[in-house]
Amino acid sequence: MPANAPAKNPPEERLVNLVVALMATDQGLTKDTILTSVSGYREQSVAGASKDALEKMFERDKESLRGLGVPIETIGDWADPDDLREARYRVPSTEYELPDDIEFTPSELALLNLAGGVWSESSISEDARSGLRKIRALGIPIDEPIIGYSPRISLHDPSFPLLQQAIEQSRTVRFLYLKPGEEQPRTRHVQPLALVEYEARWHVFGIDLGVRADRTFLLSRIVGPVVLTREEFDPMLREGAGDRALRGLEEVAARSIALLEVDPGTEAALRLARRATPAEQGIHVPYVDAYIFAEELASYGPEVRVVAPPELRDRVIERLAAARDLNGAAP
Amino acid sequence: MSARRPLVATDRAALMLQLVPYLIGKGEVSIAEAADEFDVTPDQMRAMVEKLTVIGLPGDGGYWQMSNDLFDIDWDLLDQRDLIVITNSVGLERAPKLTAREAAALLAGLQLARTIPGVGDTELFSGLLAKLARGASGIPAEVIVAPGPVDTVRDAVATALRRGVAVSFTYKAPDAAPTTRTVDPVKVHIADGQWYLQGWCHLREAMRTFHLDRVSDLRLTDIAITHAGERAPGWFETSEDDVVARIRFPEAVARLLGDYLDRAMLETVDGMTTATMRVADEYSLRRLAVRRGGEVEVLDPGAARRATAEWAEAGLAQYR
Repeated sequence: MPANAPAKNPPEERLVNLVVALMATDQGLTKDTILTSVSGYREQSVAGASKDALEKMFERDKESLRGLGVPIETIGDWADPDDLREARYRVPSTEYELPDDIEFTPSELALLNLAGGVWSESSISEDARSGLRKIRALGIPIDEPIIGYSPRISLHDPSFPLLQQAIEQSRTVRFLYLKPGEEQPRTRHVQPLALVEYEARWHVFGIDLGVRADRTFLLSRIVGPVVLTREEFDPMLREGAGDRALRGLEEVAARSIALLEVDPGTEAALRLARRATPAEQGIHVPYVDAYIFAEELASYGPEVRVVAPPELRDRVIERLAAARDLNGAAP
Repeated sequence: MSARRPLVATDRAALMLQLVPYLIGKGEVSIAEAADEFDVTPDQMRAMVEKLTVIGLPGDGGYWQMSNDLFDIDWDLLDQRDLIVITNSVGLERAPKLTAREAAALLAGLQLARTIPGVGDTELFSGLLAKLARGASGIPAEVIVAPGPVDTVRDAVATALRRGVAVSFTYKAPDAAPTTRTVDPVKVHIADGQWYLQGWCHLREAMRTFHLDRVSDLRLTDIAITHAGERAPGWFETSEDDVVARIRFPEAVARLLGDYLDRAMLETVDGMTTATMRVADEYSLRRLAVRRGGEVEVLDPGAARRATAEWAEAGLAQYR
């Protein structure tokens, strides 16, 4: 192929050329060197593009590459670290590459292959597959695949990807949250720390800045878009947050126990059995959220009767009455 | 596999950065195999490989990107036999670290995989979690999947799958009498925390899907499975769905109905959505409608609407 490629080459070529150049240097390259030597910039320099335009292009490229996880290091003037005119740029290979002492066994790879296939939502599924590809490129022999299982995680909550990004970047978010029983949604201002799936529902756990305390929010109750703010918080707050969130949910379930009477052999009896412990008359079932548990119990119609607590019973009665009224007369 | 969507320049750059270590690891690989690995079409893969040959070190002093500075491939093998072999490499040989998002997606998937009996011990999992954390370029967002309660039916099904024997159990579908089934287990589907066993039902002589919560008295038989290779229909597909139903609900409720609407036709007017779908029988909707009491209205068929109102009324009668 000709060494002097046409002046306008595709941006992905320029991006990859830039990575190769920045990885090949130990002491770093100055912006001037990059703009006049790295293919993609050089041709445009020669063709007379303004320095300003090229510098802007370089800034955008750096951001794109950092978005891909490429660690571009800036080495400033030691005497004046804020002066970036003479800054040098490089990509340290130890930061860029998978550490060479990381190895995956064939059985680990088989498990990762199963884990990588669980997402039904497409952008996360692509992340998983891309991660797997990098691991597979280490040239690990392939074990027998794990067959017989098809685990799936469905995401019906549109706020999930943005909350995940906010946690990753340790940035606070704002969203409208509709608490059941309240007429209007209220704005919450939250430092999000972890996403937790509990009993097939997604929750975001974080610090509610309105009350300065840990709170767990159901994603299904977030109304409208989540706003990612520019306010950052200390990433250390994220440490152990997942376990804290899980413990919190388990504690709520441990102190909210319903007493139910169930018709044996019915759908209700079968579906509740896995969570139930026998009571003197009926069964005890722990729950996390009275509104959500009431939905499930209402769906069983006459197959289950709530004995206690009264607030759960009232919610079930509310739902049953509303469903009867809405579907009463012919439409 | 994911859909083949159009790629933007940054996506293509990301793929090229992964392509070099993959090709070097493989030594020699066909266009088709590489395209499959990267979720692109064979033509896209060929274009990526050709593009690679104009990429490399900048060179210096006016000698810009001489041939030694560039990646090169065996053009004859590519043109004549659709094979990719890198003949000159100038960097990028080792795979890049995982991004925080990539690591998070795999970590969460691992937690779900962990709930499957017998696929790996605690040591294997914790080892993997540590490796993924160390192999990521940023700290992944914590995405936790809580394990459900321990379950003997799930454990027994896992054992049957491993041994390749049929299971026999009592199955109680909603609004139907219990039946005794013998089933060659083929696959366990796990979705929204629920487990479904798909297998060849000796009674119906066809592939069927069973919700494991509705299974009781399960035991392993000595019958070796014989129908594992049958074509499995889409796992919620049944030939018994012959009632056309229409339900109406506020648009915002749609996402709360989840998979229920996967096969429905939706029409939204003034914030109210009407869904038309096929269901097994007129009774199957009443549970859904009462669950979302006051939000989901059953329009058709009339019998389903009446069944919904009666179901709710029968529930209410217990509290008078």
